[in-house]
Order: sequence, then C-alpha cells, then structure tokens
Amino acid sequence: MTGIRTLLRLVVLLPVLWATGSVVAATWTVGPDAVHKKLATALASAASGDTIRVLAGTYAEGTLTVDRPLTLLGIGKPVIDGGEQGDVLVITAPDVTVQGFVVRGTLVSNINDNAGIKVKKSDNVTIVDNVLLHCFFAIHVTNSRNTTIARNEILGDPHVEETRQANGIHLWRCSGAEILDNLSQDHRDGIYFEFVTDSHVRRNRSLRNSRYGLHFMFSHRDTYSDNFFRDNGAGVAVMFSKEVEMRRNQFIRNRGASSYGLLLKEINDVVIDSNTFINNTTAMLVDGCNRAEVNGNIFQANGWGLRLFANSMDCHFVGNSFTGNTFDMSTNGNPVYNSFSGNYWDRYKGYDLDHDGIGDVPFRPLSLFAMVNERMPYAVVLSRSLLTQLLDQAERLVPSMTPEGLEDDKPLMKSPHGTRSL
Amino acid sequence: MARVVFENVGKKYGKMWALREFSARFEPGETVSVIGPNGSGKTTMIKCLLGLVHSTTGTIMVNGETVGPDPSYRHHVGHMPQISRFPNELKIGQLIDLMDDIRGKDQGRAEGPLVRDLGVDAMMDKRLGTLSGGQRQKVSAVLAFRYAPSVLVLDEPTAGLDPLSSEILLKAVRDIKRTGCTVLITSHLMEEVEALADRVAYLQDGTLRFLLPPEELLSATGERRLSKAIPAMLINHTRSHVESL
Amino acid sequence: MWKVYKYTLIDLARNKFVGGWMLLLLAISLGLFQLEDQPVKAMLSLSQVLLALVPLVSSVFSIVYIYDVMEFTELLAVQPLRRSKILGGQMLALGTALVLGVLLGAGIPLMLFLPNSASLTLLLACVMLTLVFVAIGSLIAIKNREKARGVGLGLVVWFLFVLVYDAVLLWIMFAFSDYPIEPWIVPLAALDPIDLGRIMVLLKVDLAAMMGYSGAVYEKFFGNLRGILIALAALTAWVALPSSFAFRAFQRKDL
Repeated sequence: MTGIRTLLRLVVLLPVLWATGSVVAATWTVGPDAVHKKLATALASAASGDTIRVLAGTYAEGTLTVDRPLTLLGIGKPVIDGGEQGDVLVITAPDVTVQGFVVRGTLVSNINDNAGIKVKKSDNVTIVDNVLLHCFFAIHVTNSRNTTIARNEILGDPHVEETRQANGIHLWRCSGAEILDNLSQDHRDGIYFEFVTDSHVRRNRSLRNSRYGLHFMFSHRDTYSDNFFRDNGAGVAVMFSKEVEMRRNQFIRNRGASSYGLLLKEINDVVIDSNTFINNTTAMLVDGCNRAEVNGNIFQANGWGLRLFANSMDCHFVGNSFTGNTFDMSTNGNPVYNSFSGNYWDRYKGYDLDHDGIGDVPFRPLSLFAMVNERMPYAVVLSRSLLTQLLDQAERLVPSMTPEGLEDDKPLMKSPHGTRSL
Repeated sequence: MARVVFENVGKKYGKMWALREFSARFEPGETVSVIGPNGSGKTTMIKCLLGLVHSTTGTIMVNGETVGPDPSYRHHVGHMPQISRFPNELKIGQLIDLMDDIRGKDQGRAEGPLVRDLGVDAMMDKRLGTLSGGQRQKVSAVLAFRYAPSVLVLDEPTAGLDPLSSEILLKAVRDIKRTGCTVLITSHLMEEVEALADRVAYLQDGTLRFLLPPEELLSATGERRLSKAIPAMLINHTRSHVESL
Repeated sequence: MWKVYKYTLIDLARNKFVGGWMLLLLAISLGLFQLEDQPVKAMLSLSQVLLALVPLVSSVFSIVYIYDVMEFTELLAVQPLRRSKILGGQMLALGTALVLGVLLGAGIPLMLFLPNSASLTLLLACVMLTLVFVAIGSLIAIKNREKARGVGLGLVVWFLFVLVYDAVLLWIMFAFSDYPIEPWIVPLAALDPIDLGRIMVLLKVDLAAMMGYSGAVYEKFFGNLRGILIALAALTAWVALPSSFAFRAFQRKDL
C-alpha cells in the first residue's frame, strides 16, 4: 500500500518539479543561423544550470572552456574543432553534461596532456554519445568524482606513429567513475586509470591500441566486467592495485613479444571470473599477486595459457578450461603456494573409473618443455616435435625437473564450458 | 662401314678391370658368339654396348654414332637380357604398348615378329608379376626383335625356354641375320654357338683371347667339335703367348 | 618422361602398399577425429603423426620401389630414352602416388572435419615432405646397390631428421644460451625438412606463441604469410637438391 501511495505522490509532484526547473534554467541555441553563431559567446552568456543546444555545423574556436554547470547538447552531431591549439573542450565546473558532439583538433604535445575533452577537478560530469576523432588524449579527467563516460566513440588515428599517441580515456585521481559502453581504439592505452577508486568499467570495447587496451595502476575497489579487448599491443595491464573484480571480459588476439591478454602485477585480493582468453601470446601473467580467485575462465589457443610467477601466493585456479594452448602454463620458479583444482586441461590423458567426471590421477600442467622455454624462448621452434613429446612424456612418467606439488588434484574429464572450437 | 666398333674399351670396377683394351669390329649381317667363363667380361662388354655401363676407357660406335649420353643410337638396338623382371602390376599388353610408345612404333600389340610364334598374343592380359621365368623370356624375346634392330644383343637367350620355343627363337635369329642385322649372342651351349656363329669371341679375365670364325678354330686345333677346339685353342694360345715373351 | 610416368603410375596404382598407406592414413585420421571431442585437438594429434609418418613411409617406400623396379629400369635404359627421363618419370610417379595417398587418406577427413587454413597448411606440409623424402629415398636407392643397406640408410636418415637433429638443436641452444644465437635458430631448423614442415603448421596453430619473441628475426619470420612462404621455399630446395644429386648419380650409375 505504501508503495502505491508514494508512486501517486510522485506522479502529482513531477510536473511541478519540471515547471520550476524550466523557470530557473534557460535554454540557449547556437547554430550557423541562430542568434549565437559562436559557442564561445553562448558559454560566456549562459548561467549555471542552463542548457546550450548546438546545431549541426563546425565550430572552430580554439580551446573552449566550460566554467559553470551547463548542459551542452549537440543536435545533429555538431563538430567542435580545436584547430590544434591545445585542448579542445575544457571543463572546470561540476555538474556539466556534454552530449552528442564530434570533437577533434587537439595539439599533439609531449609537455601538455592536450585532450579532446578535459575535465579538471569537477565532480558529477557526464560525457555521453560523443565522437572523439583523432585526438591526442581523447577524454582526460583529473581530480574529479562521479564522472560518467558512456557510449562515446573514441577513434584515434591508426596511421600516426606511437610517440604521437596518448590515451583514449584517461583518469587520474578520480573516484566513483562509471565508464560504460565506449569504444576506444588506435590510441596508446584504450582506457587508463591511475589512482582511481570505487569505479566501474563495463561493456567497453578497446581495440588496436598500441600499448594496453586497459591499463590501471594504484586503483582499488574497481570492477571491470563484460569488456572486450582485442589486438592491443600489450593487452591489458593491472598493476599495484587491490580489491579488483574482473568478470566476463574477453581478451582476444593480443599478440607480440611482451604482450599479454591480462598482465597482473602486484595485485592483491582480486576476483577473475568467467573471462575468455583466446589467441593471446600470453593469456595471463601473474606476477607478485596475492589472494586471487581465478574461476571459470576459458584459456583457448594461446601461446602460454598462464604464466604464474613464483612470487605469487594464494592464487586459486578453479573450474577453468585450458584448451589448444601451445603451453598451458609456465613459471619462473616454484609457485607452490598457489593451487589448482577442478580445471579442465585438454592435455590430460588420465582416466575416470568411478565416472564422477573427475580424473582419478592428478594432472601436472607444467611441462618440461615449457620450463625449457622459460629459459630459452627461442626453443619454441621445437614445440610439437617428437623430441619435446618424448621429453614431456618422460617427465610426466618420472617427474624430476618440474616442481613437485604443482598439480591439479581434480582434473575435469570434460570442459565446464562445453566444446568450442577456434 | 662396320656396324659396331669397339675401340680400346676398358671398364674398371674399383681397382678391378672387368674389361680391358677391348677392340673389335662387327659387320652387318654377322652373328658373333661371345663366350667365356663367368666373370670373363662378357656381360660388361655387352652392357657397355647397351649404354648400361659407362666404359672407363675407349669408345664404342654403333652405326657411326658414339655410345654416350645421347640415346638415339639405341633406336637400332634390340636387347634380350639374361633375366628379365618387369613391373609386377603391368599387363603384357601394357608393357608392349609402353615400348611401342617409347620407340614411336604404332602397330598392333599382336603384330610383329615372334608374338604369335611364341604364343605371347594369348597372354596379353596377364600381369607380368604372375609369369614364369620362361614366359618372361618370351616377352623379352618379343621386345628384342620388335623394332627391326640392326644390332641385336641376346644374353643367354634360350636359358629357361622350352625346346620348342628355343627352336623358334633360333630360327628368328637366322631370319633377322638375313636382313643384315648384326647379332651378338652369349651362350653356354656349344651346339647353339656352332649352329649360329659366323665368328666366336672368347673373353677371359676381361681380355679378348680370340675372335675367329668356327672353321678357323677347328682347323687350327685339328678338332672336329668346337667344345674341344676352344680349350685346345686356349692352351696353344697361352703357349705361343708364353713363347713369344 | 611422361610415358615412363604414366606406366609407373599404372603400376603404382595397383600396388597394394600405396593403397594400404592411404587406408592407414584414413583410419588414423578418422579415428582421431572420432576420438577427440574437439576437431582442433584431433588435427594437432594428426599433425604429429603425419609429420613423423609421412617422411618415413615416403622414403622407405621410394627406396624399396626403386630397387624392385631396377630390372625394369634396365629395360628402359636400353631403349632410346635419356636416363634423366626415366628417373624423372619414376620419381614423379612415386611423388604423385604418395601425394594422392596423403590427400585422399588424410586430406578428405581434414577437409570434412576441420576445413580451415591450418588443415590446408598441414596438408601442404605433408605434400612437400612427401616430395622431399621421395627425392631423398631415390638418391639413397641409386647410390647404394644393396637393398637392405638402402632401406637401413633410409631409416637412419629419417631418424636423424625426426629426432636426432632436434636433440642436437636443443643441445646447441643450451650450450650457447649465453650467446646471441636467436637469429641462428630458424636457419638451423631449416636444415631439417621435417622441422620446416612442423614450423609451417606451428605458424598456423601456435602463432600466438611464435609471436612471443623479442628477436627481430622472429618478428619478420613469423609475422605473416611470409613465414610459410619462406618455409615452402626451403622445402622446395629440399626437393630440388636431393633430386639433382639423384639425377647426377643415376646418369653416372652402371646398371
């Protein structure tokens, strides 16, 4: 009953709220045929809380600054062209919304972090539905809380050299950010977080960035889910952070000399669940991590499924599938303080006499040849040769060099993810 | 012009001379029996002529063409080896087709000398792998005579043949000789040698000991049969050879 | 040459061994695809079997066949035919028969169960390896009068290429691991045709791992189609070289 009463009260009150709002806030229109031909004059004239409608056209007015709480609405994708003088749109006030623009024309500079849209020390800024075209930094946010960045298309210049590239979405000292449904490609890092806490990164696509698809450091209590990372120079890097959750992300085809689907370095208390790693040089590198729950992920057709360094502790791998990898895992020492249980390994040749779906003998995922390769990476040319087969087979029968105790005590007979092919 | 000329032909296997300083001329229409013990160099001499073996020294001419990498002289050479083995899975007819193909002769399989006489025409669909030794010899004989050779080399032709087929073969030799063909024939059977040979070449330890008509052999030794005359000749020869030293 | 080729091929078509080889490959391929739940896995197992078996069978069969038809070869050699054409026809026929055996025996299952570029690359590698080992087998058979010796030598050569060479390579890697030997590894591997075939397959199925190199040589080599083309070129050299030696030896051989 109380629920219905509250709802009724809301329905009555809503038009009142709407009316009072529109009385206080004015709406300005900028366009080639409008009163305001320039965006700068409208920005200077508008009062806090006003809305500026910007009609289709190109607005090349150098660097524009939004210094009071305004809503900028692009109608028909107007273009704001900074003319390569520095930043394009700088926001220095809270509660600003920028929606529906094409932003371009940043100045490439190694001294100033010039950006398409730059947010400085401003809370509750919303940047949605924009296209950021060939920017140096695209969206650059510092010292701000509760920023929402959603549905933007951030398209770097694929032909520009790496030294003239900067990040797509760049956040520094922020909290409560929501990064949703963006596309970020052909930048240096697709999404970059440094000192960013309590934030969510969901459903973004990060492609072909020269360094990392997603890169975050010193950023705690963040969640990353349902993102898609493909063809990034070095994949995704997660460093010096704690209480991180990564779920249902896809790490595809991140290949190269030091390229990782997911690079974890000095990470504590992390959940990595139901992610998919396909065709990466190294799907997952775990370096100096403590307390990681790695569950239900798919590692398929990677060079190395998992590289688990011996400086990691209490990382537990449960219910993952390892199929078609050149090496399922490797290590630089003896990562004995971690555990494997109930994973599926396509190399497992054991039997299941009691038909409980769990192999009756443990599986040792670390092959002798993988250890040889750890010392001499070029030995990879010998993989799948009769020689390495024999060496691995001998090592499995009589373990002598691979670390003892590094085994999956309950290897699954069937993949928990069903059978999928490349 | 002589049909076949060996000039100073020698063949060395490793350190062993299998044939040395062999010189001889064979005329058109002449049948020469090449005889000698095992390892005397008969086969080497024949193989040199056929181009199967490369001579270490000397030259061989056939119809004025030098025996060498150019195989065209072999258009005029027929050969029946001592033992023949053919691809097991081919049929006789297919083998004859292949040979016709190589020789560029377009005639019916069943046509040509010896095919009917030796009964090969009835075996055209037999696989070569299923043939007996004698049957293989017949196929060999057919192929040797098939392309109107002007030089015919027969290596123990009647070995393994039944008496009737032997007769047919020897008659064919006499017939082809009349066409002006030079026939070189090795045989252990002295009756055959006596019946066919215009001249007898005797080889021993790779050296030609003599090359004479049978009549001269008989008169020189005073024997009435070649089988006796040849050993006698060798003794004389050796003696005179020793005396001449 | 085509006459010799044609009739040798007719002979080989009825040869029980060639048919048996094809059926064996068919049985192995179908068996693996039935056994493994994932076609990719079956293909990888099959590639290991093929890369070892194809060279063995191709070289030993070529050796045995060339000995078996030696008398027929003599018959051909007294015909007005160049020797190079005789051997050319025979080697080509051997290559054709064995390649067909591979294509029908392993190719059909591969194309049925996993029709992708990796399967095609594996087939291509097997075809090239067949030709390489027909050439090597022919050379061995021509150079050695005794059949048993020839077959033995064929087995030794196969064993060298399939296992010993890799062991030596691995030893070199260990022994010289303090030196910058990375640029030498691929050229060294190219000296072994079986390794070349294997690397071709690796470039398709394990590219992710192959890209994990720091050495510039590897970037270049493994970058794209080029690696496969280079491997193909090297394999072609592996066909051409033993073949030309075989032709030279046959030209000079006393039959």
